[in-house]
Amino acid sequence: MPDTEPGRMATMPRLMLEMRGVAKRFGANEVLRGVSLSVPRGQTVVVIGPSGSGKTTLLRCINMLEDYEAGIVAVDGVPIGYAVDEKSGRRQRMAERAIAAARETIGIVFQSYNLFPHMSVLSNIIAAPIRVKGVSRPQAETRARELLAMVGLSDKEKEYPARLSGGQQQRVAIARALAMEPKIMLFDEVTSALDPELVGEVLAAMRQLARDGMTMVVVTHEMSFARDVADRVVFMDGGVIVEEGPPETMFSTPKTERVRQFLKRHNDRYRI
Amino acid sequence: MRTFAPLIHGYWYLLRGAGMTLLMAGASVVPATLLGMLFALGQIFGGRISRAAIVTYIFVVRGIPLLVLLTFVYYLLPLTGIDLPPFWGVVLVMACYYAAFMAEVFRAGILSLPQAQWDAARGLGMNRRQMLWIVIFPQAFRLAAPPFVNLCANLIKATSLVSVVGLWELTMASREIVERTLAPFQIFIGAAFLYFCMCFALSRYGKYLEGRVLAGH
Repeated sequence: MPDTEPGRMATMPRLMLEMRGVAKRFGANEVLRGVSLSVPRGQTVVVIGPSGSGKTTLLRCINMLEDYEAGIVAVDGVPIGYAVDEKSGRRQRMAERAIAAARETIGIVFQSYNLFPHMSVLSNIIAAPIRVKGVSRPQAETRARELLAMVGLSDKEKEYPARLSGGQQQRVAIARALAMEPKIMLFDEVTSALDPELVGEVLAAMRQLARDGMTMVVVTHEMSFARDVADRVVFMDGGVIVEEGPPETMFSTPKTERVRQFLKRHNDRYRI
Repeated sequence: MRTFAPLIHGYWYLLRGAGMTLLMAGASVVPATLLGMLFALGQIFGGRISRAAIVTYIFVVRGIPLLVLLTFVYYLLPLTGIDLPPFWGVVLVMACYYAAFMAEVFRAGILSLPQAQWDAARGLGMNRRQMLWIVIFPQAFRLAAPPFVNLCANLIKATSLVSVVGLWELTMASREIVERTLAPFQIFIGAAFLYFCMCFALSRYGKYLEGRVLAGH
């Protein structure tokens, strides 16, 4: 083993996320067909593609919110969900407790915010650091206030989610995920449920994160965000990665006909 | 005023009966609630065998009238050699009986939470125990509170059945006064009023809880 930490995969240390041959089916429907994706530390990868192409499932497989039938996922070299037995080469499912512990290092933000409605904004943010990571309450509150300031919601810490706008709820959700000090952040169409006027404030928070060097995998339909922020754009269709590359290449000279079609349709729809 | 003289003379006796009713209901609600929660969790998270056992239990208990069960256990307990005071025997039956209904109330509360809440909790690295205590239970109990309070009111009224197996409570106290005074209408109007007061207070509390649930927090 190249690393001292037990269970670490023999992988390039600079890779924050490595997925190899991940396959997932829902009944007869093959949603992911052997997807491999690597994200170096500090990079932002934006995943685009038509609805039903497997983007959300790909994201949910990264932190085992969705179990997968084949393949391996590792974050910072530590496998999530399945580890490969060195002798037999077989993959073995990790214990639930180990999976839960591994998830601490992965922040995820959902399309529908998913804040806890019975808790105030501050409680939403500090609950997991205190109860899961064992951070002291004063320390967790200080960090939560820093994060609320970062997403521009310092005056909302006592509010309940039901009293916030969609954009504000989503920014709280980002702060909540960041409070766990994750190594990587996953964003699942986080602006899709928002009024167009509220999209900007959420994207601004994400831009800031990217500038700060957070490793991010972002599933989105916001092409301008992909163009401006992504280090690499991945296009998915039919459960496979059809094409990937830097945004300037993907958006101006895509290699495949499928990406050209998708971008043309997208541009036609959003052209005013 | 003279018409209600038997009621006025017997009000203290009736109030003591109502106290006994409340005591019996309270003593039954606590284990019924705990058992109900266990059954609900067993149904949701248990293995195949425990799930099947709980479902069968709930199915059977819900199909038997409480009076039949009370009478059955009243005759059964002495045969088994278990020497249980009548009060605790009744509490045992009521708790086991209402646990079946409470299990369904709690199960519905837990399952009515959107999957997104479970996802968010898991996404933050919570294990199952943390997820349940921090995220799921507080919300599920709020959702389950109105039907739970309803069941408690039902349980208070159901204690009137235990007079059949000779236990003293409000209905039994009323019957005793009636036997002495031959004034059934006045006395049972008084008893009905006391039952109503107990249940009304509970249902108001249920309404208050419902309001809080609808308010979102």
